[in-house]
Amino acid sequence: MTLILEALDYSRPIQPLFEQATRAGFIHSIFPKALNIVVDDSLFVLLSAELARMPNSARLPASIMEQLYAKLSPGAVVRVGDGTLSIPIRDLSMHLPDKAGWEPVPVIAAHGWRHATVTRHAHLLARHLAQRSQQDGLAPLVKPLLLHQETRETPLAKIALPLLRLLLQASRERDLANVEKAARGLAGLGPGLTPSGDDTLGGFTGVLALAGSQSGMDREANKHLVEVIANAAQPRTTLLSATLLAHAARGEMAEHVGELLMALTLPGEESATVLQAAERVLAYGACSGGDTLLGLLLGLQAASIDQHVARAGTSPAPHW
Amino acid sequence: MVIQALLKRNTYYDSITLMSVIQFVKEQTEVDDAGAVMATGANLALMEQAELLPIAFLAELEKSPGPEDLLISIRASDEAVAQAALLFAEQKLAAPAKRDVAGSVSTPTARSLEMALRHDASANLAVISVAGEHAWLEAEQALRNGLHVFLFSNNVSIKQERRLKVLAASKGLLLMGPDCGTAIINGVGLGFSNVVPRGSIGIVGASGTGMQQLTCLIAAAGLGISQAIGTGGRDLSEAIDGIMMRAGLALLARDPQTEVIVLVSKLPSKRVAQALLAEAAQCAKPVVAIFLGKAPEEFGTVGGIIKLASTHTGGAELAVSLAGGDHKRVPGNSALLELESRLAEQGASLAPSQRHARALYSGGTLCYEAMLLLSEQVGAVASNIPLHPQWELAPHEMFRGHTALDLGTDEFTRGKPHPMIDPTTRLHYLERAAQDSETAVILLDIVLGFCSHPNPASVYAPVIKRVRNEAQAAGRALPVIVSLCGTEGDPQGLSAQRAALEAAGALVFESNEAAAFAAASLVIDTSDISQAKGGSHD
Repeated sequence: MTLILEALDYSRPIQPLFEQATRAGFIHSIFPKALNIVVDDSLFVLLSAELARMPNSARLPASIMEQLYAKLSPGAVVRVGDGTLSIPIRDLSMHLPDKAGWEPVPVIAAHGWRHATVTRHAHLLARHLAQRSQQDGLAPLVKPLLLHQETRETPLAKIALPLLRLLLQASRERDLANVEKAARGLAGLGPGLTPSGDDTLGGFTGVLALAGSQSGMDREANKHLVEVIANAAQPRTTLLSATLLAHAARGEMAEHVGELLMALTLPGEESATVLQAAERVLAYGACSGGDTLLGLLLGLQAASIDQHVARAGTSPAPHW
Repeated sequence: MVIQALLKRNTYYDSITLMSVIQFVKEQTEVDDAGAVMATGANLALMEQAELLPIAFLAELEKSPGPEDLLISIRASDEAVAQAALLFAEQKLAAPAKRDVAGSVSTPTARSLEMALRHDASANLAVISVAGEHAWLEAEQALRNGLHVFLFSNNVSIKQERRLKVLAASKGLLLMGPDCGTAIINGVGLGFSNVVPRGSIGIVGASGTGMQQLTCLIAAAGLGISQAIGTGGRDLSEAIDGIMMRAGLALLARDPQTEVIVLVSKLPSKRVAQALLAEAAQCAKPVVAIFLGKAPEEFGTVGGIIKLASTHTGGAELAVSLAGGDHKRVPGNSALLELESRLAEQGASLAPSQRHARALYSGGTLCYEAMLLLSEQVGAVASNIPLHPQWELAPHEMFRGHTALDLGTDEFTRGKPHPMIDPTTRLHYLERAAQDSETAVILLDIVLGFCSHPNPASVYAPVIKRVRNEAQAAGRALPVIVSLCGTEGDPQGLSAQRAALEAAGALVFESNEAAAFAAASLVIDTSDISQAKGGSHD
């Protein structure tokens, strides 16, 4: 007998996958709380409801995810389309709930990032990130990049530091060739299933995609810049990373990252809320959270300079 | 050195699993370095930078590795070691999957306090171990949600600590911390803790490893612990005024499982300690108070059923007696007599230049106790946590005369795990102490239990053996004394750890007091260590 499940919720970008004609795919990878599925060149994830939503996720109750983890293996065939995901080997099917999908683009535009407030929050977050001990990945580079402090020289730092400096500088100067060069070097760099360099690029492109849309910057140029980063990374890293970067280039962020970006709209005295939101980002993965936060802070730096440029021109742009 | 590698095609593990497995691999003897990454082009360059790129291995592959493949690379002293380490890594990676397939229920992950409370609204205690100076935020949130708090984090200002403790006390809650290393609540160990039986002795402590020492000594005497409540090391300071020590005392006074109460703190404010003793005197249950750095005589006559001790061992003996046990079963200074001949033999083999004790501690309170005892016997003891300002080590000094280092302080742990978890820093100091021709004896504490290194003897014993052999070859004896804190029930197993350390030539004591006296006996003129005094006093 077929077991029929209904997802608790889903992210808006995966809806077209379910609406198209049925196609075959496979289980890419499986963890106790996440099951990645590939259809054509798209990857989406079934998540336990305990986890924050991703831009490409549908969520199921934790108990169901535990059962799926115990019963399924990578490589198993799935079919997706005509409103349903089916897994024939387990005689199981799942459909999306009859309600609007969750929107992974944070509604920054409705609130606005005020330059002075965001700068204050960002400085606080940079110091917070620098103070965390036992960090792996790229997060420790917040010290030389944003706080003029030294950090431990590791093989990863030796490679990544000049690339991150190049990314920041080239993005400010709209030097697309060097933006691409930096993204090529950072893509797929470092530990983790989503390597550190990708997480940092994800945070960076996400901020630029969101900030650029409301700051009086050249929207098309900004869009072009984040696409250059996503396209440069795509063939050089894991499918999971490349997928998330493509979402970030459209401003589609994971729920906990979006919450932090929204917290930046709060007044300066709400720093405790900002830090709590940052802690939720930092808690993600072994080092993904710290890497992402570094990318967000670098993106804010790049966007901040753009704002100054915009102000010097004709745009009034009181917000970022 | 050789590099061996393993490529797993289209294989994915979450980063926490990968990093913990690689950390385990790196800790294997004779493994120089290891890495596990997705085999992207950037990561192959990273492997090359880290001198981990398995060039020969990659050249033999029919198909080049790609971003969806997992590459594990190990650099080790020889091929056999590298292969064994690879096998070990594979087994470790396979282990969690097997466990989950078998159907065990994994612990739900909560990324926020709100989420944790949604999982289980009946929870009444929050363990907070977030980094940075904002840990107080989480603690306050937990208290306002009606939760007791175990605050493992440090970097909370004394002003914030007082504010949190006043808030906790107003709500009838415990705020254990900040920088609270250990507690045992309703039989569940929190932080660094040992596996001890439940029993009738309750402890409130402003000292992490001091509480661990007490619980282990009491367990060795066959008795158990009702509750062990940590308060954070500053609770008996003037600024905090013993708010949580008094709250803990009141809780234990009402707790039907608790028959004897032990209070322990290092260097309390005399005024605060006296006020605490006055409250303890009102308690209907017997109370043992251990105030390290304050002689019992300083408090004059105390009322009620209160007994004062100046060492953990002395306090444990008193508590065991009061609880109806045999205090002689507490592993105390009697071990000195058992090892007297070996100590004398090693002392007689010291070269004339070997005049100083070097204590390398991971536990702050144990280090403090050892310094107190050593200085009573030998005078000045230089330290990074000195008993007197003039005994403080200068920034460039590693050792100066008799020296005791607390290697768990911020200066040694910034950006690194605590030495109870990661032995790297202490091994470096151990090597340097062993090479110093003035070193007469090296004193170490090794603390077992949850959160500590899974097998410290496997790391320390080979080094102890080697440095002793090297010293012997240079015409010197090199006594190494270990203060071993743990129980048979601990994951590491007390007996197994003791046996491995003793096989390497270390002299092992379960009482830190006895270990300190043993070390002192090797650097003082008198050989009559049997007169080493006990620490208890009515």
